[in-house]
Amino acid sequence: MSTITRTVKNIWKVGVRDAWRQINYIGDTKAGTLIGTDRWGNKYYENGEELPLRTRWVDYKSHDFDAAQIEPGWHAWMSYLVDKPPTQDALLQYKRRDWEDADPRSIPNYTLSRGAYKPYSTVKSKVTMWEPTAVERK
Amino acid sequence: MLASSRRVATLAMRANPTSRIVPLQSVATISTTPKKDATSVTPHSHTGLARQRKEVPLASQEPKKGVMQYALTTLDQVTNWARQSSLWPMTFGLACCAVEMMHLSTPRYDQDRLGIIFRASPRQSDVMIVAGTLTNKMAPALRQVYDQMPEPRWVISMGSCANGGGYYHYSYSVVRGCDRIVPVDVYVPGCPPTSEALMYGIFQLQRKMRQTKITRMWYRK
Repeated sequence: MSTITRTVKNIWKVGVRDAWRQINYIGDTKAGTLIGTDRWGNKYYENGEELPLRTRWVDYKSHDFDAAQIEPGWHAWMSYLVDKPPTQDALLQYKRRDWEDADPRSIPNYTLSRGAYKPYSTVKSKVTMWEPTAVERK
Repeated sequence: MLASSRRVATLAMRANPTSRIVPLQSVATISTTPKKDATSVTPHSHTGLARQRKEVPLASQEPKKGVMQYALTTLDQVTNWARQSSLWPMTFGLACCAVEMMHLSTPRYDQDRLGIIFRASPRQSDVMIVAGTLTNKMAPALRQVYDQMPEPRWVISMGSCANGGGYYHYSYSVVRGCDRIVPVDVYVPGCPPTSEALMYGIFQLQRKMRQTKITRMWYRK
């Protein structure tokens, strides 16, 4: 939120409902053209008149969003690696690989959940634990 | 179809550790040593394989009950919001990971917009980012800095050296993971991890903060 005039202008452009959503999720009011939507339903916007490195942004679909939910092609576009978005560049568009699951978007980040990675060892321990057994005093 | 069936097979093997794989008989006849492959070994009790699985809901999955829980949940949300939106890290740059950590504060990634400001003093910081190889000589200093941080405090272990020794795992002078010295909340893999990866780790820490039950745990006690 830089200036009041900019905030008011952007609220006027995008409407109160979207502006409220942007304040809650992005922390700023932004107005831009909708470039595309990915398989998750995340919306990607661009406005070249914003400050550098703030010209492209994403509006996540889910409430508890995760930065890894951005598709690779869109991630490249968001990070200014490429000029054209995946909607215009066939190479960046998502294609399912043979080794991928049927529905790869169903793989979330399992951190902090039951499915979190937990290493375990199947080899015998090299350390012998000391078992305290007190011998009866005679 | 193939991928899904393979996954099912893998899951089945994982779920049933006692399932036997038929050993190669020809090799066994040539060998003079008694056969002792992985299938003949009984699982040890400390690996957790022998124990019966007991499923309990995660702390974040427990439902809310009663008026008090709802009120305290709101209170927790306010506290967690305040905590996660001004996260001041203590920089513990030890090696090349520190360069990537510096990049996080430069305009490209611009951590200041997220309220993340590096502090030089442990007494003013909430989270310690251990970036780089932790040597035996540095370990007491790391622990001292951690002890000087005020509660609540978190630790991000950045890079494979801090996670588990990494490249220097077998060195005589390196701690095999900073989690031997301090309790770690988030492990960021990579050698070194990109600034983006570290940022993702910070987001995961913020997610962990969001799910923390502060007053609810106090009320339960």
